Amino acid sequence: MLDPLPQESWSRRAAIHLLNRAGFGGSPDEQEALFRLGEESGIEAAVDSLLETSEDWSSQPWPDWALRDKDPNGDFYDPDGNTEAANSNSNFRNQGIRRREFTRWYFASLKEGQPLAAKLLKFFTDHFAIDSAAIGQYYRFIGLLRYFEILRKHAAGNVAGQDAPFEGDERLVPDGHYGNFRTMVNHVSWSIAMVRTLDLYVSTNRSINENFGRELLELFTLGVGDTFTNDNDDYTEEDVGTAAEAFTGRKIYNYRYPNNTNNGPYPAAVWQNNGLRDKSAKSFFGNEAMPGGADIVDGDDIIELIFNSTRCAKHLSWKLWRYFASPNPSKELVAALALRFRDTHDYEIRPFLKDIFLSQEFYDDSAINSQVKDAGDILTILEKQLEAPLVSKDAIEDVMQQLGYEILFPPSIAGWPEPDGDGNTWLATGSMVFRMNMPSIWSHRNFDVLTNNRVRNSLDEYPEVDWNSIAPRELRTIENFPLLIDALTKRFLPNKTLRKSQIRTLYQRYSAISEQLDSLEGVKELIRLLLALPEYQLQ
Amino acid sequence: MDINSKLNRRDFVAKSAWGATASLTLPGFLQQTLFNLDARAQSVPSNGGDGPILLLLEMAGGNDTLNTVIPYGNSIYNTARSSLRLNETHGFHKLTDKNGPSVTGNDEALALHPNLTYFDTLWKDGDLGIINGVGYPNPNLSHFSSYDYWHSAKPNTMSKDGWIGRYFDNQCDGCGSTSGIYINGRPTLAFRSSNGLSPTATFKNPGYFNWRDKSETGREQPLDKMYRKLIGLDHPTDDGISTTDTTLAYVQRAAHSAMVSTANVQAAIEEGGTLLTNSEWPTGNGLANNLKVIAQLIKGKSDTSIYYARQGGYDTHNNQVDVNLGPLAGRHFNLLDDLNGGLKAFIDEMKAQGIWDRVVILTFSEFGRKVIQNGSSGTDHGAAESLFVMGGQVNGNNYYGLYPDLAADARVKRNSMDFNVDFRTVYRTLLEKWMGVPPSAMPNIFPSQPVNFDPLAFL
Repeated sequence: MLDPLPQESWSRRAAIHLLNRAGFGGSPDEQEALFRLGEESGIEAAVDSLLETSEDWSSQPWPDWALRDKDPNGDFYDPDGNTEAANSNSNFRNQGIRRREFTRWYFASLKEGQPLAAKLLKFFTDHFAIDSAAIGQYYRFIGLLRYFEILRKHAAGNVAGQDAPFEGDERLVPDGHYGNFRTMVNHVSWSIAMVRTLDLYVSTNRSINENFGRELLELFTLGVGDTFTNDNDDYTEEDVGTAAEAFTGRKIYNYRYPNNTNNGPYPAAVWQNNGLRDKSAKSFFGNEAMPGGADIVDGDDIIELIFNSTRCAKHLSWKLWRYFASPNPSKELVAALALRFRDTHDYEIRPFLKDIFLSQEFYDDSAINSQVKDAGDILTILEKQLEAPLVSKDAIEDVMQQLGYEILFPPSIAGWPEPDGDGNTWLATGSMVFRMNMPSIWSHRNFDVLTNNRVRNSLDEYPEVDWNSIAPRELRTIENFPLLIDALTKRFLPNKTLRKSQIRTLYQRYSAISEQLDSLEGVKELIRLLLALPEYQLQ
Repeated sequence: MDINSKLNRRDFVAKSAWGATASLTLPGFLQQTLFNLDARAQSVPSNGGDGPILLLLEMAGGNDTLNTVIPYGNSIYNTARSSLRLNETHGFHKLTDKNGPSVTGNDEALALHPNLTYFDTLWKDGDLGIINGVGYPNPNLSHFSSYDYWHSAKPNTMSKDGWIGRYFDNQCDGCGSTSGIYINGRPTLAFRSSNGLSPTATFKNPGYFNWRDKSETGREQPLDKMYRKLIGLDHPTDDGISTTDTTLAYVQRAAHSAMVSTANVQAAIEEGGTLLTNSEWPTGNGLANNLKVIAQLIKGKSDTSIYYARQGGYDTHNNQVDVNLGPLAGRHFNLLDDLNGGLKAFIDEMKAQGIWDRVVILTFSEFGRKVIQNGSSGTDHGAAESLFVMGGQVNGNNYYGLYPDLAADARVKRNSMDFNVDFRTVYRTLLEKWMGVPPSAMPNIFPSQPVNFDPLAFL
């Protein structure tokens, strides 16, 4: 299992598949370049080119209002530049504006970031879902920005190439570096956003709240059920209770607002109140002591024991495989992956992904086009394929509400639907209708598919797609239709074949519109119809 | 064949499957005929929406039924809920006409949460039944496992299909594509059929559940006609469903379902027009908004027998009651206010339409919550819970099941209440006594059955 794909099996199809999964696809030129690189320098060189760890996110800085020493939550920010005390612009205090700016920042990170880092950011956003409502307004935006900063730094990998201490509200965390799953779980457990979302801030040795302890085991690490393992190694309700006891006494300092200089240190931070911490020796998940013999006491110990287990390695390997490769890996494959992830790579994410991207199983026919694009994929891929800039923050929010992917309001703390393949839960009837309607925003500036005038008006200045780049004029004659459809298929539906009847229908449509109006209208119509096809939903 | 006659769903599924396997040898026109059978079976009109209606209302997150159907005289309750407990001073609704039978043998004096004013009216009118002690063996305290169990009706297994999906698979002859409707952004496992052909639709906003192409640029036929042709729905020779790739086939069917069910829903919304009680609906109540859509579809005679709505937010680990203001404020208080307001508006509309006798409503949650409150004015995940069943023909003003024993030694899973009615029994009762499903079909719909599977008497 997990043998590398033989060099002679490398193909354009394989290169396109790799681009789709390690990022958000590629233009026809990028597809060809990756294929050539694999041909000339070997598959490993092609894979390595997608694994580069250089993304420091400096091109996607936090918004202005979050960058100030005081008031990083933006509660008193005045875009007109007035000082806090004289701030007369209460308009910005509207949480909706900051929420939309935040969401746009996230989608800009997906679209403009190093593709694998962006793809991982999306994975973590789902795996470690947080809820804006639970975070509360006093910590909301600075809490969210810091949280997503943790996620996207881990997604970028070990950019510094060394162990580094952590800044901000991660300062209590043991040393480690970005790009390691175990370290990331530790970071998440110390973040304002998670401490608020799963009620850690109210869990003390005197009164336990088990919310975080339970989801740490179920969602973030060990998983439930036997889909990914035959071992009978489920944790128990007692383990949930023990984990909850270990993570007690994590508190949040309040802000010092510009008009309130009395309270607490600055900036807001999570800290350990030792008086409220359960310091008793515990037994957990079959362990009576730590591997070195010390007592099992705190949250760091619990996380270490969890990551020592096979079940954790299997669950996380299973989830990463489903996200990057195919929805239904065999239990044998999961077991092989788990050994690589835990024993070979000590939970280093990118080296583990390299094993996946090199493996024969990854390129199996059953893996190609086996995923339904999720909502983040749909928008990001569509805009990249059309070489179009990100739509307005208002439009992003509206589109994502209709697709069911509001990153600050997960449908549950388990995040969004998993990539299930057949039976995929992204495709509610209503979302399917919107997925088919949505391309006309770009092709025909059909803003009627958006739900209100504020959102529609926000696209007044949004530029027209560069149709000459997408469909060069010389391809637009009726005689050249085969060349045109070939170019468009390569761009929009790589690794997919249209049926003859579809091509015939598209041809009739294209020639009719080209004659009645002009060939540009024909091109737009063609693209709208291609992007509404069921085939377009797959990758 | 008259396409308006009822097609047998099992027939068309079987024929489609045969069409798929035979497609290499059958001439194109014959495949096409088989496929059209499939497509038309999805849009065949049935009885114009005159049959029984079932509304399932999911209170997601784990409703604290101890503070919903309150055992106010129980000293264990009053001790375990030192700051959460509700008593007479809070204005709760004592169900004085009868106490609830209890596992302990001593009937429990019960009251409804102060905000459930309309539930109290329904109880007095005989239209509300309360089912206490509902759960399943070896309860799972994970939201997600427990959702799956309630939706699949297969506790403690991973299921790919849901109980309503299997009901449609087995019983729904000539079903239209909107036989089940869920007003929500994402689907429920409960609707998923075992063969990927569930005749159900899931959408949030009917105003956007449509083909929105107002430009009509150079178009001699509307956009939906083009789509239908491209995805094979109206194509003369190409049925558009992959026979080799199950994932692709699934997406293609999703597109077909989208085409057919948008037409059905738009027709019903148009036919229904304005609700009779339109001005009396609460505002700022998300559940009420969704129930309003359902009421419109019912008024427009949508060919739908099972509606599904969801109210989230019941995962009250903290601030279940307001720390400063007490039990008459806080998250649970607000949720039950929305529930009461939404259901009152819906039921008033059903009564105004004169069809309250055709409707049964069941509320349920994935689990109840622990007996003992936690340290954050909240409660952690528990097990057994109380369900509400309402309707003009429900045997109301009655308890079903037994109130659980709250005592420490009777608890399961660290301070959760134990069940005595398996929720699958409640489902069976609804299907058998309300939807008219014969007992012989139960083994197919409920492949996993509890020890005591006798229907309850609430219908």
